[in-house]
Formats: sequence, C-alpha cells, structure tokens
Amino acid sequence: MMDDQIWNLLAKKVANELLPEEEKELARLLQQHPDASYTKEILTQGWKDKQKPFSPEEESIALEKHKRRLESAMAVEEVSTPSRRGNIRRMTIRIAGVAAALTMAFFMGRKWWSQPKMDENLQQLVTHKGSRSQVKLPDGTTVWLNAGSKLDYPKQFTGNQREVTLEGEAFFTVAKDARRPFTVRTRTFSIRVLGTEFNVRAYPQEDSAVTSLLTGLVEVVLDEKRNTVIRLKPNEKLSVPTAQLLEEDTVEVDHTIPVVIKLIKSPLTVMKDSVITETAWVENKLAFKRLPLEKVAVMLEQWFGVDIRFKNETKKQEYLTGVFQNESLEEVLKALELTGSFHFKTDSDGIIWIE
Amino acid sequence: MTNDDLIRRNFRSVCEAGDMQAYDELYKTLCSRLIHFSAAVVGSFHLAEEIVSDVFIMVWQKRSQLISIENPVVYLYICTRNLSYNTLQQQRKHQHTSLDNLDTDAIAISPDQEHNMISAEVAQKIEAAIRSLPARCQLIFRLVKQDGLKYKEVGELLEISPKTVDAQLAIAVKKVAEAIRLDMSAELAQSYFLRQ
Repeated sequence: MMDDQIWNLLAKKVANELLPEEEKELARLLQQHPDASYTKEILTQGWKDKQKPFSPEEESIALEKHKRRLESAMAVEEVSTPSRRGNIRRMTIRIAGVAAALTMAFFMGRKWWSQPKMDENLQQLVTHKGSRSQVKLPDGTTVWLNAGSKLDYPKQFTGNQREVTLEGEAFFTVAKDARRPFTVRTRTFSIRVLGTEFNVRAYPQEDSAVTSLLTGLVEVVLDEKRNTVIRLKPNEKLSVPTAQLLEEDTVEVDHTIPVVIKLIKSPLTVMKDSVITETAWVENKLAFKRLPLEKVAVMLEQWFGVDIRFKNETKKQEYLTGVFQNESLEEVLKALELTGSFHFKTDSDGIIWIE
Repeated sequence: MTNDDLIRRNFRSVCEAGDMQAYDELYKTLCSRLIHFSAAVVGSFHLAEEIVSDVFIMVWQKRSQLISIENPVVYLYICTRNLSYNTLQQQRKHQHTSLDNLDTDAIAISPDQEHNMISAEVAQKIEAAIRSLPARCQLIFRLVKQDGLKYKEVGELLEISPKTVDAQLAIAVKKVAEAIRLDMSAELAQSYFLRQ
C-alpha cells in the first residue's frame, strides 16, 4: 500500500497549493511509485463537465439572454428620492429682474408607475400634476418626465429603431448608438437624434411645442411625408405652433401647396449661474425669465398640482423673472407678490386667485 | 495574465467605470461555473441560469458599491449560493437546505478523453469513483479541480476551514487513484511508462 502522504501532496498539487519543499517531496514519492505518475497525469489535466458543458458559442448565447434580462431589469429601475413635502427651507430670493440663486440641493417627491398597455411590449410612464419622475430606457437613455406628462416606450427596443411617444414635457439624455437612431414622437413633430441631450415640451393644451437642444445635434421632423426637417444646433430651440399643424391634419389640405408655418428658432434662455430656463426643471428648479404671469401661473399649476385663476385679467401681462428650488407654493407666491405686481388669495376650495 | 487576474481586472472596470465590455467578459468567463454550482443546489439548469443572471444584474445595479470587494470570484460564488438557497426555500417551503442535499449530477466532471491517454472505460470508472463520495466532497473536488478555486476560497464559500478542504480533496484524490490502479492492467501501465 502506498503512503497516504502521496495523495495528500497530489491533492495540493491539483489545487495549486504546494509549497516548494512539498513539490520536491512529491517528485521524490512519484519516483518511488511510478504508477502514481499516471494518476497525477490524469488529475492535473483538463477535465470536462458531464452535464451542460458550455462551448464559447453557448457562453455567448447565455450572455445574450442575460443582457436581455438586464435591459428589462434596468427599464424598471427606480431612482429613490426622498419626498419633497415638508422640505421647507428659508428663502433667500430676490425677484423681478434679478435671478435668485439658491444652492441647497433638494429632492422631489415623485409618483410614477408603468402600466403595460394593450401591446405587451409597451410601457407607459405617467406623471400627474405636481410630480416629476425619471426613467431609464432599455437602451440606457435617461428620461426625466415633467408634471402632467405621458411617455410611451417599449420594454425592449427591437430592430434598428428606437422610438418613444411623448405627450407633455420631457428631457432626454439619449444613449449613443449610431446604428439605431432615437426618435421622439409628439402630436406636432418628431425629433430624430443619435445621441444627445435635449428637452421636448409638447403639452396638448399649449399653443406651441418646443424642442430645446443642449448638446449634440437633433433633427426636428415636421412632416415625414415631405421630409420637412429642421436641424438644431446646441443651445437653440424651436417653437412650432401646434394649432396650425393639427388643423392641417384634420382638414384635408392639398399637399402640393406648402403650408406656411410660423416657426421660431431662438437661443435658449440663460439666466444667472447658467441656469437655462428650458431645462431647469430637470434639476428641480423652477425658472422663468421675463415671462408673463399668465404663463408663470401655468408653470406653477403644473409644478405644484394646483388651480390658479385670474380675477384681474390685466395681471396676466405682468412680466416676472425668478429661480426657485425648494420653496413651497406658498413661499413662491409670497416671493413673487413682493414685487408688488399682484396679490393672491386662496379660497375655501383651494383655488388660488390672482388680483 | 492568469484567468483570476483577468476576472479581477474586469470586475474593477465594471465597478469603477461601468465598463460594459468588461462586464460581458466577466459574465462569459464565469457563467458556466456559477450555473453548474447553482444547478447543484436548486436541481435545475434552467433555474440556475436565471439565478446567475440575477446575480449579474445585481452586480450591474450595485456596481459602484462593489469597488471594495477584494475577491470577486468568491463574492460571486457567495451571491450565487445565497440566491440559490433563497430560490430553493421559496420553492420548497419549510424544507431545510444544506450542501449535503446537492444534485451532484449537475457538478459531475470527468477526465477529458480527447487530451488524455485513457479509455472511455477508465474515464467512467474514475467518474463513478468520484460519484461514490459524499456530495460535499464531490463539490469540493469540482470547485478546486474544475473551477480553480483556492482552499481558502472554497473554505469561505462552504463555511469550513481550508484544512478541511485540503483533507476532503485528499480523500477524493485517493479515490480516483484507487479506481485507476484497480483498473490499470499491467500492459497498460507498461505501455504508458515506456512512453515517458
């Protein structure tokens, strides 16, 4: 019988755990017991799995399967943020003409859910007034959805297209993928991009739809059939009146006659501390520059989910400027009231009246 | 660069830079071993593949928190072990799970006859010899021989001491040696040693 020592050393050899002196000892024992060399030979060579051995091709297939599961898992990943409510801070703000700079970081409360629609592959993200949310699409694109908006997107992008449908306002940071263009469809226009950062504001109740570009390059497609395309450069925005285009849609117009649409291409509105009003909402900032109170009221309605009405119509044309970050509705209104341009009252139904 | 170094490097790239290519390589290098290991616990390759996929999803999602992981291989084995236990416990409620109840079919290995100078018959004898060992001993043999884990790493994963791993492995090696010796005819031995 052979000494068990040789098997102990051989076990260590298999495990690559032999110390140098043990290596010598094993060599000596193997010389004494040449038949054990055969065993050593077999034990130190490559073995194979009896069940489900993975060839490199099968590893690649398993990886593909895994990547599909990862994509779906990432699509529903939720970014947790503490609630906005109760997060009241002291205000340091100067209004009217001077943009107030606020530095404290803040987090917003958000509510969102994804509902599978009729089409199994479609997901829908809906935000109500007063809440905003963020979602990561399966291709890695990040979308911030502003209040009162709706985004339809597939669970998985298939083919060589990435396409989503938006109603309301969203900011996109599109993951670069030169082979698969990314398209955002709205009722007014489509936006075609490869990889960039841009904002789309297309609320059905507003009279114009706006695309604002931060970086990269986008093409705004006004009419797919006639390939009416307008290119935007960084820090440009394009406003398209919605009413006219919709009219064109409903009334059968002769497509040979070009319809004159009043498009407005303009630079983005930059405020102090490089706050860009068009995209400030993404950073949870409420920003407006020389905006009539009528439009500010709409912003506040969406931001806080409230109802604001005018008792005095002339107040609609009061122009205001401001940047707010963590203030409550009450604080924002009081700050704006300090400019002396209007007063506000809240009635028993919670409706805010401007007078 | 050894396989182990490559795994470490890829794991670091994933955690520090979100490197998707490194992530893919990491998955390809480790999926087979982890799936076999998980299949031994849960008794299904199909389920095991999902479990390992879930482990890697978690790695991607938590990657920035995993920078401090010193041994990615052991970490991934332990994650796979835990998730496999959890899955099993959900399926068979109240049943105690332990590594002594392994489905050893899933982790069986045998000498590769293509590279070896042994007959199918001897390979079968060797395989049978290993299969006659207790489940835990078979697992240890596999983790060391097939997956290349160190004693310390197996010890961490199975919550036993490296010394025990060493002793268990020696038992397996002896068993293999006996199977070979019993089978080896004088002629076969002769012809083998003459070639040396």
